[in-house]
Amino acid sequence: MDPIPVTVLTGFLGAGKTTLLNRILTEKHGLKLAVIENEFGEVGVDHQLLVTGDEELLEMNNGCICCSVRGDLIRILGRLLKRKDRLDGVLIETTGLANPGPVAQTFFTDEEMRASYKLDAIVSVVDAKHVSAHLDADDESVKQIAFADVILLNKIDLITDADATALEERIRKINSVARIYRTKDCSLPLDKVLGVGGFNLSRAAELDPKFLEPEFPFEWAGAYELPAGSHAIAIGHAPGEDHEGHDHGGDGHDHHHHHGNENELDVAILPWESAAEPAREEEEAVKVFSEWEAKLKAGDTAEPGSRLYRLLLDEGCGRFKLQVSKPGRYLVFEQNGEAPLHIEVAGDTVKPSWQKDYHAAHEHNDAVTSVGISQPGTLDGKRLNDWIGTLLRTKGGDIYRMKGVLSVKESGKRLVFQGVHMLFDAKFDREWGSEPRQNTLVFIGKNLDRAALTDAFEACLVD
Amino acid sequence: MELKKHWAARLDDYAIDLAWSPDGRFLAAASSAGPISLFQAADGLRSHDLPGHGQGTNIIAWAPPGNLLLASGGQDGAVKFWDAGSGQHAGTAELATDWVEHLAWRPTPGSGNSSPVLAAAAGRKLALLRPDASLAHAFPDAPKTVSALAWQNTPPPRSGEPVPAPALAASHFGAVRLFDADSFALRKELAYANGVNALAWSPDGRWLVSGNQDPSVHLWIPAEDDELQMSGYESKVKHLSFDPTSRWLATAGGRDACVWDCSGPGPEGREPAMLAHETPVSALAFQNTHGLLATASHGGEVHLWSPERRQPLRATARLPDAVTKLAWSPDDRMLAFGSEKGVIYVLKCDA
Repeated sequence: MDPIPVTVLTGFLGAGKTTLLNRILTEKHGLKLAVIENEFGEVGVDHQLLVTGDEELLEMNNGCICCSVRGDLIRILGRLLKRKDRLDGVLIETTGLANPGPVAQTFFTDEEMRASYKLDAIVSVVDAKHVSAHLDADDESVKQIAFADVILLNKIDLITDADATALEERIRKINSVARIYRTKDCSLPLDKVLGVGGFNLSRAAELDPKFLEPEFPFEWAGAYELPAGSHAIAIGHAPGEDHEGHDHGGDGHDHHHHHGNENELDVAILPWESAAEPAREEEEAVKVFSEWEAKLKAGDTAEPGSRLYRLLLDEGCGRFKLQVSKPGRYLVFEQNGEAPLHIEVAGDTVKPSWQKDYHAAHEHNDAVTSVGISQPGTLDGKRLNDWIGTLLRTKGGDIYRMKGVLSVKESGKRLVFQGVHMLFDAKFDREWGSEPRQNTLVFIGKNLDRAALTDAFEACLVD
Repeated sequence: MELKKHWAARLDDYAIDLAWSPDGRFLAAASSAGPISLFQAADGLRSHDLPGHGQGTNIIAWAPPGNLLLASGGQDGAVKFWDAGSGQHAGTAELATDWVEHLAWRPTPGSGNSSPVLAAAAGRKLALLRPDASLAHAFPDAPKTVSALAWQNTPPPRSGEPVPAPALAASHFGAVRLFDADSFALRKELAYANGVNALAWSPDGRWLVSGNQDPSVHLWIPAEDDELQMSGYESKVKHLSFDPTSRWLATAGGRDACVWDCSGPGPEGREPAMLAHETPVSALAFQNTHGLLATASHGGEVHLWSPERRQPLRATARLPDAVTKLAWSPDDRMLAFGSEKGVIYVLKCDA
């Protein structure tokens, strides 16, 4: 028998959670649902309210709070199975302040829970007008965003379109994979909330396309046609300058992350000889950026080649010589896409003939973020198991959600898994068939080290 | 040995509990939706349909011999008492707002007090009730929800010492508390750092056993401050039963019923008898005064075993539906089963 889907509903008081709950309880959807109203400790089956015990945290694993589950839920859910007509779904409302972790983890605890129930989705209702202030002020609302599979930006009518777009962008930085809906009075088709089939990574089209792009150690590159000779690299704005050239300063985005020392800027200059997109050059630049840097003081000379230069600046400004011996097209890779960079030939600023922004890898950011990995290939089941086991044991506290669809050597079926903190569940679902075997893996949490996660993942690939 | 169909009857919902009256005349069966039916043991005719608990019944328990009184606990937080002879409601104790999930009658009368007493747990509350539904004692609230109850029959005799009152064991996540049956005082708290799903005393009162979430079985000899842990179960252990001699302890957490030899120093270092089912075991019980063990599964298989034999399997039957509960009649000649679809099956066990 198929497991009963469970929807966990989170949201702060006043966000509109009760509105959504009332809609689910009163609308004719034809589903036999049990609603567990956590705040009041009540369970309603077929619209009948039943009283249950109070919130009870059970620490499953030697007092480790990351592994705690809700004892009251285990009992309630156990009792809900004891009926002739199976339920079509269970909805659990959590309090505004409750960390949804222990509620969600309850579904990974024991055989009975795993066999009988599946976590369909964590749905967070947020007050579009006030959530930004909450996100600035407290970790709990960040967590609610991070844990969610579905986010309702409710009361959307109270903010402008521009604010809504900015808010979505901010939410995406925390959780790149949740489905976001803008709603007024939580009005949306209930199939967006109930029975959404959890997180289906195969519907990759729903993901933020940037999210699955590879990350680079640089944020920008520009191509310049350079004659042989001695040119200049100018960083920063000279007073009265007309901002020609590469300058992202006016794009209106806030940049919350700070890329190290503002008086240092890493650059590399590589020849771009082929007519094709500079994929090979990008690859080379990634290598260059992982090398030891050569420090250049103002007035020092840089040359094209596989060499990483660290430009030392004074209050964000500096001029450096660029010595070119062979004329041609060159790519200048810049670590921080925000720093104004100009190339001057014979005293004149030249415009780049081509430029590109890169999705940058941020080193060890303590904010809550998402890391996505998407690669073709097949994984070694044992290595994968060892890696995930160790990862969750050591980093489970920081990893709020982990979800994936993987291809393992041992099976022709897709391995679909999801986890909350240290507890996770993995099941084979359907055959890959003719579909290309693509591994997609997402982590949402704090202190995520993308490079380390990607390396460890790649080490599990069968050659 | 053979299991023969005796009678069957249908409830309105999932059979959540069943119990034979101590005189063997009635089988009471509760549906999870609430109603409780009293069937005549001899022919399965319905004697009475009791309304039970409107929001759902969780558990039923017959008072000790001499009283034809049935207690029930429900999701309404109440314990109700029913006169089985007349089929009348005899009283209600409003215990809590939490579900009443555990009921246990004290098996032996207390000193100077022959009225039976019922231990009832709802959430963190634990109370003793009299048959007229009045409160005999309210214990201090447990730190977490009470997860199982078990009365000790009689404490094991100790030379040169007066026999103490038996104990009531009540578990919560983290510990099992032992209360004195007469003074109600907390006698001991046995720490256990995980969830306890079931408790059982050996009939001789020596062993106290818990079936655990972790998944394991823990055994205590409370009088000797001794304890043992038996692990290796497939999943959480919810089912425990001692044979009447106190030697064999049947346990189940997963597809095997695992029977431990508790004679002498206990099961540590001994190989258990592994009695296999194709699907997870959902109920098991030793006979009341004989040595057969009945086990039943989610797949509806029923097996009878003599665990001490080299070929332990004695008889098999298959029910069409997942078994939720089983119970031996007091004379050990009939076996009643409840099912997920709400059917009660009574089989005769012919030697």
